[in-house]
Formats: sequence, structure tokens, C-alpha cells
Amino acid sequence: MQRQLELELIRKCKAGQSRFYEPLVRAYEPAGMRLAIAMMGNAEDAKDALQMAFIKTYDTLPRFDLRRPFGPWFFQILRNQCRDMLRSRKAKFTTEALDERLEQRPADVERGPERMRERNAAKELLWRGLEKIGTEHREILVLKELEGFRYSEIAQILEIPEGTVASRLYHARHALRQALVDMNAEYP
Amino acid sequence: MDTAGPKRPTPITTEELMRYLDGESSPEERERVERGLESSTELQRELAMYRALKSDIQDLSFPPVNARNSVWDQVNTRLNRPFGWILLISGLVIWMVYGSWVFTTSAASPWEKIGTGAIAIGMLMLLASVIWERMRELETDPYRNVQR
Repeated sequence: MQRQLELELIRKCKAGQSRFYEPLVRAYEPAGMRLAIAMMGNAEDAKDALQMAFIKTYDTLPRFDLRRPFGPWFFQILRNQCRDMLRSRKAKFTTEALDERLEQRPADVERGPERMRERNAAKELLWRGLEKIGTEHREILVLKELEGFRYSEIAQILEIPEGTVASRLYHARHALRQALVDMNAEYP
Repeated sequence: MDTAGPKRPTPITTEELMRYLDGESSPEERERVERGLESSTELQRELAMYRALKSDIQDLSFPPVNARNSVWDQVNTRLNRPFGWILLISGLVIWMVYGSWVFTTSAASPWEKIGTGAIAIGMLMLLASVIWERMRELETDPYRNVQR
């Protein structure tokens, strides 16, 4: 979404016109869903977290500084929501229901059933690895690899100094690699 | 006479390697890491491993979000619900005040007014006590977050 259009929509929302919030929700929903699934581990809890995050974001819009980008701010709220839910009894990271809901890519089908099985097995292993490494490591990996945020944006979302992002990423990647090795996955 | 040999480069730190992998290095740092990579197969192997891991994570697929499973409807409902409550409560208050005024200034006998007033006040007190009790229970209910 263009920055100018986004700003205009936020201004209208700040003025209490909630119908202008819909384009913002639609624009950030796919990326938000990816982050929430990666943090919660299943689509059901991810959807609840995402919904709550959008409501909290709207409620706190009057305090939003228009000079700041909206994306990192929203993802910060979503990340906190996921963490709160994981801390409470309501949700637990579980990949149980995820695999059957995963989107099948056309390229996978073209490569034949054997290749598809291999890919699915590798993905399942990766999900299990992500499950093992814990929220702290998982969230930074998701923000970097799935959402492609810059270090400065990750620092803002995670509320940490920019200088520590590289080190946090190293520890997360190292932990994931170790988890995969422990599960007998081969990495170069 | 200078007895020191050629200056050995300082080893590449894990942070430098991460910044290089993620395209966040400054030009000087990038050059330094590339020099380090040229001279160390260990570093090359480590970088290749992290690249593979990065690519595998990026390859994870997710359920697509479309209009049918969008959260917008629920969000919209929750955003507009307070306005509904405000309108409902305001309407009820207006009707109660107006009704009470019409009733007290009507030509009905005092006994009729006292009886009807007692019923209305009693019902309101019972309703208030039930709401109060429920709110107190909610604060301590260990199952309040359990969804049916």
C-alpha cells in the first residue's frame, strides 16, 4: 500500500471513521497471518491473535505518530498479542492442525508425488524445529525471513537495540540448525 | 627494523556474517567478509548452511487469506459494538426518565403509583444485583478463558 494512501486512511480512522480501517486490515492481513501462524503454530489461534491485534491497533490509533511507518507498529502489537496468548492458558504453540491446511503450490504438484512427499516431510521437520526453538528465536526468524523486515524495523518491532538484531538472529538460526540436526536433518 | 610479520586479519564475527547474509553490511564490512570467505572454507561452509536454512524458511507455505476467511467481519463487529451499546443504553435511560415523569404526573391513584413504582424499583435492584454478582464471579473465575 502506498504511504500517502496509508496515511490518509489512518487519519480518517483516527477521526473515528472505522469504515476506512478495512483497506488497512485487508492490506496487512496476509503478512499478519503468516507472522501469527509462525508464532502460534496453528491457524485457529493465529486468527484469534490477528483479530485481537487489529482491534487493539485501532483502539490505540489516536496515540499513533503519523511520522512513523504503520507496518512495524502493527506487527509490534501483533507480536505482543501472540506472546500474551502463548503465555496464557488459551494457546500453546502446536503444529497439529497446520500441515493439512497448508497451501499446495502448483510447482509442488508438477514435480510429482515423490518430490511432493519429500518437500512436505522437509517442511514438517522445519515446523517441528521452529516449535522446538521457542518464541524468542521464532519471532525474529519470522520477521526476517518471512516478512523481510530490515534490521532497523525488527529492532522497532521487538523493542530491542538495532545493534543486537544480528546477534539475536545468529542465536535463533544456530538454535534452529541445532534442533534440525537433533532430529537427524542434514544441513551442509 | 620492523620485526612484525604481515598483519593477520581479525576473524569474522557471527554478527558480521549475519549482516552479510541479510544484506545489511556496510560496503567496508562486506569487503572484509568477502576477503574472509576467500581465505576460509570453514566460513564458506557456515555461510552456505545459513543460506540453505534461510531459503528453507522462506519456502514455508501458509494458508491463503481471502475474503471468505478474512478477519475483517469480526474486527468490524467488535469495533462497532460499543456504539450499539451506547445507543441502546441512552435510549433506555431516556424512556425510563420520560416514563417515570409521565407516570408520576398522571392522574392515577397514589396506591397505584406506589405499587407500580415498587415493582419497577424491585426489578431494577434485582437486575443490578445479578449483574454485580456476575462481574464479581468473573474476576475470580478460573475457567473464564476456557472456550466452549
